[in-house]
Amino acid sequence: MSGTYSGGVTADIAPEPRSLPVRSTSRGVRVTWWYTASAIMFFELTLVLTWAATVRAGGFDILPTWAVLIGGLLWCGSTVPLILAYRHRTGEPTAVQWRIIALPISTAIAYGVFAFALSGLGLLLVVPLAQTLQLLDWPRSVRLRMVLAVTALLVCLWIVDAHAVDDGSLDITAGYFPVGFLSSGLPVMTVLSLWWWDVLIALDRARVSEARLAATQERLSVATDVHDLQGHHLQVIALQLELTERLLRSDPDAALEQLKAARVSVDEARQGTRDLATRFRSVPLRDELANARDLLRAAGIVAENVVDSDVNGAPASVFGPVIRETTTNVLRHGGGKHTTLTLQRAGDFWRYEITNDTDAAVPTPAREGTGLDGIARRAEEAGGELEIVRGESEFTVIVTVPVAAQ
Amino acid sequence: MIRVLIADDEGMIRSALAALLRLEGDIDVIAECSDGLQAVAEAERLLPDVCLLDLEMPGMDGVEVAEKLRRTVATRFVIVTRHARPGVLRRALAAGVSGFLPKSREAGEVAAVIRQVAAGGRYIDPEIAADALSDERCPLTIRELDVLRLGQHGETTAQIARALNLAPGTVRNHISLVLTKLSVDTRQQAVIMAKERGWI
Repeated sequence: MSGTYSGGVTADIAPEPRSLPVRSTSRGVRVTWWYTASAIMFFELTLVLTWAATVRAGGFDILPTWAVLIGGLLWCGSTVPLILAYRHRTGEPTAVQWRIIALPISTAIAYGVFAFALSGLGLLLVVPLAQTLQLLDWPRSVRLRMVLAVTALLVCLWIVDAHAVDDGSLDITAGYFPVGFLSSGLPVMTVLSLWWWDVLIALDRARVSEARLAATQERLSVATDVHDLQGHHLQVIALQLELTERLLRSDPDAALEQLKAARVSVDEARQGTRDLATRFRSVPLRDELANARDLLRAAGIVAENVVDSDVNGAPASVFGPVIRETTTNVLRHGGGKHTTLTLQRAGDFWRYEITNDTDAAVPTPAREGTGLDGIARRAEEAGGELEIVRGESEFTVIVTVPVAAQ
Repeated sequence: MIRVLIADDEGMIRSALAALLRLEGDIDVIAECSDGLQAVAEAERLLPDVCLLDLEMPGMDGVEVAEKLRRTVATRFVIVTRHARPGVLRRALAAGVSGFLPKSREAGEVAAVIRQVAAGGRYIDPEIAADALSDERCPLTIRELDVLRLGQHGETTAQIARALNLAPGTVRNHISLVLTKLSVDTRQQAVIMAKERGWI
């Protein structure tokens, strides 16, 4: 997939599944964003409702109450584009985009003036603009200083308003404490929410670059291994060829020996490179069996798998090579039309069985037998055994391995 | 005599292999082609018994040549490859290829495979089969594969949605899940990957 490997690179480490794609948590990040944005909107709406309730409780008519409420909703609406724009900020200083911020700021000012004119509360004059300003893309230090200054200002206004209420010069008798608390706390809560989002994004970026770094280091290390391996073999081959060149006239037989040795070296180099490239490749047994079935079907054979659900617990080091060898045999023989692969647990044994019908008309492959010997050896090493049943028109290979053996 | 056509875009390998095969008494190399199109034309003209095709050729790869020729010419196909990509063996078997082996096998072995295939047998190299069995399984659901298949020629989301009786938004969701699962950036890349691996 992405070409990244997980796990270490030393040869003795067991193969591990490759890491998930780097973007796998992007959904979680997206959800967190909507959580953050809706929390901010929720604070704003709660505040507007509280204002409307306070105005109503203060003995105003129904009309000014509705005016404060609807104006407040408009103001909340005007902050939405700012919140959405915040999501995709880069963190780099950018030019002020008046096109986006002009309308929210003027809405906030207009609503503040309007609500102040109606209620006489200083907090209502300042909070809308104070909140809207928090949502702009400020550098971090500016934001911190600004939110502290704004909060201090709001607390002062709260005190001034509270005095006015106590003096009776304002016509509000009850419920001023929650309004004051919510109003002066809103900018701080907003900044905290945005900061939480910033932290999350920073962590996510770190995670992505860490995964990239790991992949790069992996690649570098594989490249070094390949370089060492190839370098070594090329040097050996060069020496063998040089010797061949010297021997060619004086001792043709010895020269021929050297040529053969050089070819063996070439083969070793190729095999070593292949081993490096496939070092981390391994799939669960269930997938391996499914691949085998697909291959057989592609070759025009009717293939079925009978597989237990906990089959991935079977010893892959034994059954993996066995599945590969037997599937290859069936593919090579050809002629057959049906194959069944079974891997099941029977009591204290894992039992693998592959059955295919045979066709006498098809020539026997050249190297038959060697594969089955290998399978028998592997099964014995794991304390199990190999059984071959040659029927009239069927050929069955059965490998049983005790469950405890790994 | 087994009449053999060789197609490989690497001239050195092609001529060396042809020379080595001619040394075998019962094999006659009747054509050497440098790409897939030429291989198709020559095979249709000369009707060889066996076509020995390199997998990695520009324009038309070995499996595509086999797919095209199997309908028109009674011949057998052996594919050789330097590096078998995932899914390619399944694609080759489905295209009626009888032999599949790595390029690293020596000419004597290639000749043995040609004889076996010419006699009606099949030969799959164990190394290639082992690679194919350790392929990653397709991580996509049937619906997601449908979406990719119906959109493989650049159809719009709306067209795919209509063909599947789904809402365009649902199709877009499927596509975004596919892109995440395969970690690619565009639908086209996803289609190419799925085709290469034989998923669609």
